[in-house]
Amino acid sequence: MSDLILQTIVNAVYAASYMSLIAVGLVLIFGVMGVINFAHGELYMAGAYVVVALYAESGMPFLVAVVLGLVFVGLLGLLMEISLFRPLRDNPLGGLIASIGFLLILQTTAVLGFGVRMAHIPPPTQEKIELLNGVVLTHQRLLVIIASVALLSLLYLFLHRTKYGWAMRACAQDREAAALQGISLSQVSRLAMFIGAGLAGVAGALTAPLVSPTPYMGHSVIVTAFIIIIVGGIGQLEGAIVAAILYAFVHTFVTTFFDGVIADITGLLLMLMVLVIKPTGLFGAKDRV
Amino acid sequence: MSQAILEVRDLTRTFGGLTAVNRLNFSVSPGSVHGLIGPNGAGKTTTFNVISGFYAPTTGQVIYQGKNVSGMTTVSLARIGLIRTFQGTTLFKEFTVLDNVKIGFHGSVRSTLIAQVLGADREELAAIEKQADELIEFFGLADLRNELAANLSHGHQRALGIAVALAAQPKVLLLDEPFTGMNPEETSRMMTLVRSVRDRGVTIMLVEHDMHAIMGLCDKITVMNFGSLLTEGTPQQVRTNPKVIEAYLGSAIDAA
Amino acid sequence: MSRGKVNPWLWVAGIVLLATLIALPFGLSFSQREVAVLLVINVLLVSSYRLMTLTGEWSLGHVVIMGVGAYASALFSKRLGVPVPISMLLGAVTAGAVAALLSFPLFRMKGFYFLIGSFAAGEVIRLIWKYFTNPFGGPKGLKLIPGFPDIGPISFFEPLPYYYLCLIVVGMSLFFLYRIERSRIGLTFHAIHWQDKLAESVGVNTFSYRMLAFVLASTFAGLCGALYVHYIGTINPNRFDVEEMVFVLIWAIVGGTATFYGPILGVVVLTVINEVILRALGFDTARPMIYGFILIASVLFLPNGLESLVPKLQAWRTSRRTAPEGTPASEEKA
Ligand SMILES: Nc1ncnc2c1ncn2[C@@H]1O[C@H](COP(=O)(O)OP(=O)(O)O)[C@@H](O)[C@H]1O
Ligand SMILES: [Mg+2]
Repeated sequence: MSDLILQTIVNAVYAASYMSLIAVGLVLIFGVMGVINFAHGELYMAGAYVVVALYAESGMPFLVAVVLGLVFVGLLGLLMEISLFRPLRDNPLGGLIASIGFLLILQTTAVLGFGVRMAHIPPPTQEKIELLNGVVLTHQRLLVIIASVALLSLLYLFLHRTKYGWAMRACAQDREAAALQGISLSQVSRLAMFIGAGLAGVAGALTAPLVSPTPYMGHSVIVTAFIIIIVGGIGQLEGAIVAAILYAFVHTFVTTFFDGVIADITGLLLMLMVLVIKPTGLFGAKDRV
Repeated sequence: MSQAILEVRDLTRTFGGLTAVNRLNFSVSPGSVHGLIGPNGAGKTTTFNVISGFYAPTTGQVIYQGKNVSGMTTVSLARIGLIRTFQGTTLFKEFTVLDNVKIGFHGSVRSTLIAQVLGADREELAAIEKQADELIEFFGLADLRNELAANLSHGHQRALGIAVALAAQPKVLLLDEPFTGMNPEETSRMMTLVRSVRDRGVTIMLVEHDMHAIMGLCDKITVMNFGSLLTEGTPQQVRTNPKVIEAYLGSAIDAA
Repeated sequence: MSRGKVNPWLWVAGIVLLATLIALPFGLSFSQREVAVLLVINVLLVSSYRLMTLTGEWSLGHVVIMGVGAYASALFSKRLGVPVPISMLLGAVTAGAVAALLSFPLFRMKGFYFLIGSFAAGEVIRLIWKYFTNPFGGPKGLKLIPGFPDIGPISFFEPLPYYYLCLIVVGMSLFFLYRIERSRIGLTFHAIHWQDKLAESVGVNTFSYRMLAFVLASTFAGLCGALYVHYIGTINPNRFDVEEMVFVLIWAIVGGTATFYGPILGVVVLTVINEVILRALGFDTARPMIYGFILIASVLFLPNGLESLVPKLQAWRTSRRTAPEGTPASEEKA
């Protein structure tokens, strides 16, 4: 029994790591640009298909494909910012709707390019570590955990140590005030979209061999990401990480000990509860009127 | 003296560490115009917000018609005749003047929802429209009846704001700075209007910075400073009170 | 409100429209008739959605609520043997009742939070259908749902009679929705959208009215679900997923939501494009992508929807006329 609990903890840590990448990207985009990117799950899917195309089908080294996945999806984000969110800057609902349009385009592109069936990806490594008797952590999962922690730490350093990071945080606090201080909103928005989308893409690329991508995989991802950013307090980067860990543990444990559907319901009810009791999130700031 | 229609007892409202209203007491006699004045940030709007149910009091009570109404919702207070207007021009800007006033009559509607959908409330609608037109006439807006509220002049928007409130059949009407931004002509028109509203039997509580209007209209004035009661009395008493002069001199520098 | 004389041209237009709707199926193939049935149902679905948006809240749960009506009506008729016409009404009522219950948590939220909250509530309902095989049939859903009973020689199994049945039900419902908007209730919905604090200060119970809009919209959505399920005969939870909701959003946004006819315009135009043009071109798999482009193009280039073209068209027509006799540009206040 205690082995099962330990194994579940290991699984939850893995889930928390890639969910954090996705949720932090979504929060970054919302914080800086004020739009909800409904296509975020499809950006994750796009990252996974970069690995399908470059690694599984063309034989490129896995890690190179992952890096290219980050860059490619980051560029998709840039495209969204330039073609959709910039022209719709004063229309947050419009931005949300346009991102739904983009979602449909990405999804159909994947269907046309790769078919609707699950893509099979040969595992880059079969090795695993046996932590205790019976409790295992595959190298593939370990890689996801390490890469997530490394990327999030880099992001932290970027946001707190560089001029651009500072500008980004200023925009997230108050766009008008930031603009008045001479920060270029378009520059910061482009950067936020590149990083936010890139994080979703790299999460998709890293986990692709573990999940068997389909063009429709974005749906459950966006639901999870919404739960996390609501529980964490919308626009709160640290809150998103804490909420991702919390959600990953709750979801993984309920899945293991009850059922996957019950776990999904639990997650959604958790979010509804937060929305009803403290709409600004468990870790959110006070209600701004 | 007749029994007060509205009274606040030891009213306190805090926001986090900030005490916006601090152990305030006053009582308003029925049929009077009662002024509430004080420098900016003294807590006047907050007092209105607590009386009208937008905020609950932190401690203390609001007594209306002899009943403790603290913590009641805005809607239920409106139903029993306690109506407030907003600082600035808060209107249904996308509606015509007539539709604005019609919404004000919300509490008078007796037809059931079904009757309204089926159009069986035609008589009532016509009656309401007639009353609305009377109010519009009363406020000198008859020519603008079908104009969008957004297109009205500032003075007319202010008048419309009070018309909407009056349509809700107030017994006590709380007016928050109705004269702000008006030219002298509009001000004197508005003063006449406020008096005739009072003559209809409505008790009026007035927050205002325009001293000419306050002194000309009020039967009694309560002066607040830093959330607390500074003094209270007739316009004559307040005008000559050295504490009031001091409080206002302190703020007149940035107000004027 | 409707005091002035009704424009006689409006009568003519109405009669022409009615005749067209009645004659329409005769010009259609069998499969196009089936599409016409679904289109009529979708007209009511998107119109009921608009009623909800009048108070300013955009829901992402509307299609799931439609599903509640469908599941309820299917179960009432299949499990309890309730006659289909009655089970349809019960389905609509159930959808309204579920909306009434959901109002308590959901209307503590506004704007974006309401959007997400309604989405979450909808997903919970869908997961419940998936999880409880009894009575909902689990992920596979329900099959062999009884159809609308024959009336004399008329079999509602055929698309043609069902089209007329839907036309009558939807027509009556639309009339009802139109009356709601034109009544004091509609005025109050708009008032809450623009200035809820002011509305409260004159005694409007904004919670009750938001709930009323939600319950009414949901009741009609439930009716759509019931009309749908007894025609198609099977349902499963994925029929009501967020992709379907996206279609309703697209119809409403492409059409525009400022007027009563905007969303109807949206659903009709997009369905025609979808069924006539795209089907003829044969891009079956690419269709969602084209929808995506249409959606993006419409928010970018036609932010007020197709309906915003109507006054422009009218102005263009009057400007061509030799003696313009003070025709009002538009009855709607945009
Ligand atoms: N909702 C609120 N949250 C925090 N502080 C508030 C709020 N409303 C008012 N205050 C504060 O309370 C004090 C009194 O404000 P107010 O009642 O508007 O003053 P007045 O109307 O007399 O100018 C001010 O310091 C103001 O900043
Ligand atoms: Mg004030």
